[in-house]
Amino acid sequence: MSTAVHLDEITKRFPGVVANDDVDLTVERGTVHALLGENGAGKTTLMNILYGLYEPTEGTVHVDGEPRDFDSPADAIDAGIGMIHQHFMLVDPMTVAENIVLGNEPRKWFGTTVDRERARQEVIDLSNRYGFDVNPDDAIEDVSVGVQQRVEILKALYRGADILILDEPTAVLTPQEVEELFRVFEELTAQGKTIIFISHKLGEAMHAADDITVLRNGKNVGTVKADETSNEELAELMVGREVLLEPKAEPQEPGDEVLSVQHLSAKDNRGIPAVSDVSFDIREGEVFGIAGVDGNGQSQLVEAITGLRTPTEGSISYKGGDITDASRRSRIADGMAYIPEDRHERGLVMDFDLVQNGILGSQHSPTFAADGRINWSDARDHAERIIDEYDVRPPHADADAESFSGGNQQKFIVGREFEREPDLVVATHPTRGVDIGAMEFIHERLLTLRAEGKAVLLVSSKLDEVQGLSDRLGVMHDGELMDIVDPRNTTEEEIGLLMAGERPNAAETDAEPPVGDAQ
Amino acid sequence: MSAAENAKAVLRRLTAASATERILISFAALIMAVLVGAVIILVSGRITTCQTAATTLFGTGFCYDPVEVYLVLFNGALGEPFLLNDPALFNPDWNPLNFGFALTLKETTLLIFTGLSVAVSFRAGLFNIGTQGQLVLGGLATALFSFFVAPLLPSGLVGGLILIPLAVVIGALVGGLYGAIPGALKAYADANEVITTIMLNFIAAQIAFVLVSEFFGNPDSQVVETTPIPDWATLLPVAFPQGGDFSILALAFGLALVVAVWFLLEQTSFGYDLRTSGEQPEAAEYGGVDAKRTTVTSMFLSGALGGMGGAIWVLMVMGKWQAGVPALGFDGITVSILAGNNPFGVVPAALLFGTLKSGSLAVQFGTGVPKQLVGVLRGLIILFVAMPEFFRMLGSTIDLEPDRETVATDGGRLGGDDE
Repeated sequence: MSTAVHLDEITKRFPGVVANDDVDLTVERGTVHALLGENGAGKTTLMNILYGLYEPTEGTVHVDGEPRDFDSPADAIDAGIGMIHQHFMLVDPMTVAENIVLGNEPRKWFGTTVDRERARQEVIDLSNRYGFDVNPDDAIEDVSVGVQQRVEILKALYRGADILILDEPTAVLTPQEVEELFRVFEELTAQGKTIIFISHKLGEAMHAADDITVLRNGKNVGTVKADETSNEELAELMVGREVLLEPKAEPQEPGDEVLSVQHLSAKDNRGIPAVSDVSFDIREGEVFGIAGVDGNGQSQLVEAITGLRTPTEGSISYKGGDITDASRRSRIADGMAYIPEDRHERGLVMDFDLVQNGILGSQHSPTFAADGRINWSDARDHAERIIDEYDVRPPHADADAESFSGGNQQKFIVGREFEREPDLVVATHPTRGVDIGAMEFIHERLLTLRAEGKAVLLVSSKLDEVQGLSDRLGVMHDGELMDIVDPRNTTEEEIGLLMAGERPNAAETDAEPPVGDAQ
Repeated sequence: MSAAENAKAVLRRLTAASATERILISFAALIMAVLVGAVIILVSGRITTCQTAATTLFGTGFCYDPVEVYLVLFNGALGEPFLLNDPALFNPDWNPLNFGFALTLKETTLLIFTGLSVAVSFRAGLFNIGTQGQLVLGGLATALFSFFVAPLLPSGLVGGLILIPLAVVIGALVGGLYGAIPGALKAYADANEVITTIMLNFIAAQIAFVLVSEFFGNPDSQVVETTPIPDWATLLPVAFPQGGDFSILALAFGLALVVAVWFLLEQTSFGYDLRTSGEQPEAAEYGGVDAKRTTVTSMFLSGALGGMGGAIWVLMVMGKWQAGVPALGFDGITVSILAGNNPFGVVPAALLFGTLKSGSLAVQFGTGVPKQLVGVLRGLIILFVAMPEFFRMLGSTIDLEPDRETVATDGGRLGGDDE
């Protein structure tokens, strides 16, 4: 077995930050190598160096045994390296084939025109060779995220990549799509390709990788063989201490109904129905989870509940009163906390410091603003308390929200919302982007709130999270609530099928038309 | 994106710079404007013909000497504290309470009001270019109110003490309501405030013209204007010479408003709502801010400040309303941009433009250089202030601002990847 990539004592310093500190990494040809670590551990930076996006401050990159000095991704591509970023770089209205050849189009007529026929044929050959199931003529906007990802991989292969880097490839996929991706990995490595993928999910790394390298605080804290390690060992490597991996909610008897959603429908910003006829309720001391692939109406449902979107039909009642038309402000005042899914857009004002952000939503509450004047010293104390209690780093209340890393921004938002002393917490992706340590802490706090008799609506695309924390779990697909299941007695596969829109009994119903309707 | 949306985006970008950045940019802009202005003065001096060259560079004679123009400009704006051609330098007869300086402060005072008006709306994320119209109608309301109510009050100090504050309130109210119109149109009919405020400027000017020429005009006058308000009901110059049309009371009121606007923006719940809406409308919505109400209120406030500018113009400068209101509202936009929409920044920005305006007269009389060239200089300052991107680029090459990429070390999706 030969070495495909060897990173030799790579150090990367940004002003004030050491992103990578003396990192060695060796990746064997024809293997899948997982780069595991918490957020901010320096995984993406390291891969950006390999891909020529950054130059290392110190150290050298060796590809196929040769020391290389990449000035730009173009150099890395020449050396046979391809990178698939988290955000796909595809042109939506163009076809799969067009996207794959984009930038390297086969030409005809002395290079004046793109040879579409040859392009199409080359793409078909390429995808056949690796057993990819893509139709070259589909427009990108019409295919699923999983297919788009395969297009990105084909694009890299088309440019002659032997080494593929994937940055958190599973973040946007359903469990089934993840399985499919890992099958693609196997096919690729069988044909001699090398794969490096970034992840912060232990299970994935264990499942798909041959070797796992763990980064912590920019340092390589160990490379292990996937079949010689355990989840516990990896978690400890990542965090640097022992971690409670699986959130477990102790069974408890729920109390009175806090939130009741009846036949709710809502449209998205483009006026297309996004939520249709959703009904459920949440009681005191209960966590109601909503699982589903992103973009299946969860956002609109949550916005309707929190007062940011007017439902087209249906009603919402909260603590016994109808709040379907209540203002956002009155819902906040009435003890509804909300961790929004988009912290950059909604959760924080990026150009405000944390003192100002700490009172977002409470700017009219008597706690901080008696008679219309904001008490900034109280606001500062409040922000500092959140920073302290939720371990926001660096602990600078005067720094603009923009200057914090995503995980720390999230911790601040979570802290602010939990400190409202809410009756209902609507938490959308509460642990998105935070590291394992903070995730554990946030889970604990959610369960504490539950134990205190608060109601929690938990929306997450992480199945293990919603499964582990929820008392009841609703699965959304295409705006509909497919089913409400008991998460403790339902397998991941069953939930995955619901997420993909397949009701377990749907096949039977289709096969046997109802008797009475025969005429 | 429409042109208006584009313009708004540029403006946001422009005013998003930090305070230090802002000050550096403004100074750089000033210096660049002075340098480019100097070249323009030289060039126009080549085009003009004159008997004797004012200055000679590289063996070529130029009719205008830029150094002299600038010296006369600033000297004139201060009422000639220096004797430019005298080795003694200091003018022994100089008195700070002089005509030239009064002129400077008059312009400064008026621009403080309009600058504040624009700043409030910009901070709320509303591109109000209707301050001019709000000022025109506010001023007219003040002039008419004062004229009709004056006979009912005792003349003299007592009457003035009652009438002047009331007249300012009336001006503010009318300006505010006129500002609230585009605010309501935006909030409830989704009408772009850039378009509506521009249009409402024309409408205001025409309405005022028709009202005065047809109904409330001064029958004894050839021009379109209202009958003058009695002197006791106007803001008379205190300490400064008569002809300067400057009242220190108006300046004091303006400065008090600066503090009040700052207090409102930074210390109150309403100000928090307003700023949040301006910074990040989605976050404001999330935080329970009623976007529609905040839009209307912010525009009312902005209009009220513009209307007060009109009231001061009537009470301090004209003593009546007269057609052909100077473009103080539009100048307010430039003042606010230069001030980074910061109420305290409005004061030095207004002072700078006040100085340029009043100094341009001195230039015209003192050097024979047309005062329009000073107008060019003002334009240049705005041009350069509007190029913060350019100066920021300059700044980053000499490492004024640390590279923003420092946060991009957190695994892609987490930190600054939302662009």
